Amino acid sequence: MVQFFNVSKAYQRDLNALSDINLKVAKGEFVYLTGPSGAGKSTLLKLLYCAERPTRGQILVNGRNITRFGSSRIPLLRRNLGIVFQDFKLLTRRTVYENVSFPLEVQGRKRFEISKKVYQTLKNVGLEHRLNHYPLQLSGGEQQRVAVARALVVDPLVLLADEPTGNLDPEVTLDIMELFKGANARGTTILMATHDRGLIHQFPRRVITLEAGQIATDDLPLVDGFADSM
Amino acid sequence: MRQSPVLSLAAVGTVAVALALLAFFAIAVLNVQQLTASWGENLAIVAYLDEVPEEAKLKRWVKEIEAYPEVGSVTFVSRAQAFERFRKRLGDDADLVEGLGVEVLPASLEISLAEDHLSEVTVTGLVERLRRDSRFDDLQYGQGWLEKLEAFLLLLRISGSALGGFLVFAALVIVSNTIKLTLYARQDELEAMAMVGGTSLFIKLPYLIEGTLQGVIGGLTALGLSFLVFELILQESLGSLLLITGIDTIHFLPSTWQLFLIACGGLIGLLGSLFALRKFVRYGSA
Repeated sequence: MVQFFNVSKAYQRDLNALSDINLKVAKGEFVYLTGPSGAGKSTLLKLLYCAERPTRGQILVNGRNITRFGSSRIPLLRRNLGIVFQDFKLLTRRTVYENVSFPLEVQGRKRFEISKKVYQTLKNVGLEHRLNHYPLQLSGGEQQRVAVARALVVDPLVLLADEPTGNLDPEVTLDIMELFKGANARGTTILMATHDRGLIHQFPRRVITLEAGQIATDDLPLVDGFADSM
Repeated sequence: MRQSPVLSLAAVGTVAVALALLAFFAIAVLNVQQLTASWGENLAIVAYLDEVPEEAKLKRWVKEIEAYPEVGSVTFVSRAQAFERFRKRLGDDADLVEGLGVEVLPASLEISLAEDHLSEVTVTGLVERLRRDSRFDDLQYGQGWLEKLEAFLLLLRISGSALGGFLVFAALVIVSNTIKLTLYARQDELEAMAMVGGTSLFIKLPYLIEGTLQGVIGGLTALGLSFLVFELILQESLGSLLLITGIDTIHFLPSTWQLFLIACGGLIGLLGSLFALRKFVRYGSA
């Protein structure tokens, strides 16, 4: 589903945020990207939704080389992705319903289809009773659930999550992880950047550790607390 | 507009002030043009007659000159009429001509030009034709004055266009920057729209419509403002000033100009939004 071929990204000359990344994520996989701050986790995700362009190398998403995508094709790529951020990035002047329906409106879906889909998705994240609330009337956990609903409402091929639980307390973190697990079980490929080792142990999946812009380790899911190195 | 009323108001206000200035200037230019045009209307060539012919002959002369395409009308002014005019013009000093006979002033033909022939070239051409005619003793017309009038009108038009262009450009820059401030306040929203796959047009369209609307409202406000100032101030002060020069009334902008002003507001709003949005809706950096 996602492939990186010798991908490097430099924000400044001779200062690589990512160096020579080679990576393959299969359809339906759940992958953690971990590592210390500045290791390149967010940059790697940004390359996938074209907020940044690689300095070198090629990136394939669902078999398409997105490296050369022009600005007109980027929106089409993003319609197949779900993106969840640490700071939610919700439209604060729009209701929960409007926030979740927005990606479907962008795609030009029919009103009836939108309302049905939005209600179903909000029900899945347990927020169907908060339809008409504004984000700032919700708790942090609820806001992140709205963000997850917004990402999942389009049935994305890939869900990209950048420290989605970074601002949440442990209990709410578990709720969010359950939502990701559910989406993954329904076939969505997930790449999640986190530095929460506890979470990785609690929900064991493939773990890619980045250090100074390079892949340090790429481990298979933990089994009984141990990781099998790839 | 509902979401950031202060900034929207600032944008509308900027357009309104800039266009109101433009409207005031346009009113001034229009009225000055009208004034100078009326001066032009009064422009006449006076052909002094050496000998006054008999009436039938005089009528033939008048008809002959009236047949020229550049001539509007020809009026015969007899010695007596000329003397009477002169006496009136002297006003309180009329007694200076007491005892003088009407024969001191020559009879003349006053030749007014047709409305669409009020130019230096036409007048000179006509004067040359009349000069060749031995029937007329002397010819007088506003030689240097006409040249100056034409130069003044040209200068007025050029400076009007330059100032108007400058004002519109200034309004465009200010509106663009004001809209940028609105967009800064909504940067998160724009970013979120781009993240879920909104196309550039989908994201920009509401802002472009909003900018155009703000511009149109600004244009309407400018029109209202300039009309108010025209009614309350200009007609009073400028009106009395113009009375001295012989214009009894000053005019507001004609309806086509009013529509142009509103359309100009809309265009400024649209272009201002377009320039401002260029820097905000971007999908990624290389």
